[in-house]
Amino acid sequence: MNDDDLVIQTQTLVKRYGRKHALDGLSLAIPRGRIHAIVGANGAGKSTLFRILLGFLPASSGQARILGVDSQQLAPADRSRIGFVNEEHTLPGWMTVAAVTAMQKKHYPRWRQPAFDEVIGHYQVELGQKVRQLSRGERAGLNLALALAQSPELLVLDEPTLGLDVVAKRAFLESLLYSNAAGDCTVIYCSHQMEEIERVADNLVILERGRLAHMSAPDEFCERVSLWVADIPFQGPPPETVPGLLQRQQLDGLQHYLVLDQDEGFADFLRSVGARSVQSMPVSLDRAVNGFLAKHHAAPTELRHA
Amino acid sequence: MARTRPLMIQIATGDARPISKQIVDAVRMQVATGGLAAGDQVPSVRGLAQQLMVNPNTVAKAYSELTTEGWLESRQGLGLYVATPRQRLSDAERERRFDEAVQRFVNDVVALDIPAADVQARLQLELRALRPRKRA
Repeated sequence: MNDDDLVIQTQTLVKRYGRKHALDGLSLAIPRGRIHAIVGANGAGKSTLFRILLGFLPASSGQARILGVDSQQLAPADRSRIGFVNEEHTLPGWMTVAAVTAMQKKHYPRWRQPAFDEVIGHYQVELGQKVRQLSRGERAGLNLALALAQSPELLVLDEPTLGLDVVAKRAFLESLLYSNAAGDCTVIYCSHQMEEIERVADNLVILERGRLAHMSAPDEFCERVSLWVADIPFQGPPPETVPGLLQRQQLDGLQHYLVLDQDEGFADFLRSVGARSVQSMPVSLDRAVNGFLAKHHAAPTELRHA
Repeated sequence: MARTRPLMIQIATGDARPISKQIVDAVRMQVATGGLAAGDQVPSVRGLAQQLMVNPNTVAKAYSELTTEGWLESRQGLGLYVATPRQRLSDAERERRFDEAVQRFVNDVVALDIPAADVQARLQLELRALRPRKRA
């Protein structure tokens, strides 16, 4: 793939805080276009990754490029091609909506007023209001409108709907998914809310302890994970011998195994360790991702790069 | 001039079926039960995405699968329409699936110890309820 077609590209990126590795040799290539969801447990390195990509933080080693430019060499013109919305929706509280908008308009040469108007139309925000007087949901909406109006090629949303009520959340997702303003923009969507990710994501990126653990369409990830229930007398096999094990539960005397990358052969394994009955079923994205992030005993044998 | 027929379907997140698969299943069910008839125009990708509050690409994927399977057909520049029914499976495959469904049904029902005549009567009732209704 041509490097110009990648909005984000990192190569064995490492960031150490003291002896702790926040990023541990992360190699990531995110293509242009569509909506990419990044998930990971707290401390998986998402925030550190964004800080490095946006040039706020130097890497310990390795390379990070955003829109084809080295993150440490970003010029103001490069920054104007990137929109960033963080979870706090930090905007100066003492300014009016009109004043904040005018300020942004001056900063960004490719400002599109129609895009701003379209997105802000989803919210009941008056131009004369002070930012401080806006609700959290309205501030999120204003933030998104400001970010989309700058005509970014890349929009990074870090937990944008955290703490929003259902109405505000819906307005936020609608303005992101269906407004023309977001049309040509590549979106990086960081969230812990699987329900949202299932609705919006074209591509799912899973980070784990500072490394890339998985990248594919959400459906494909879901297909890798399956749940098996077996009636095995006594304790069942030692967990470390169970292939692809993500999670194990013993419920009502039955063994429940959530496993990764197992086919029908897993039934044979269960029978070989004494299972009297074996049943399997697919799982939801929520369950699959949670199981994947919560696993203790198993590690994927290979990293998959889509 | 046929107008877009609304798709009265719902999707659920947290289901083991991906959303695009849920849309495919729901549309097939609508066609099978007469909620949609041949020649009806289905909502646009964007319209249905907005109705269900999902990514338009997800709807596009479902529509493309339905088109490949022959449930929907595209008319140049006009949109997607419910296709005229035709045999979508080979005879052997149809026979196999029918066999499988009947076996499953019989296995489930035999355990309930209900007289065969009652089972038949009920089955007939359910099938009749599925028959396409005439629309004004």
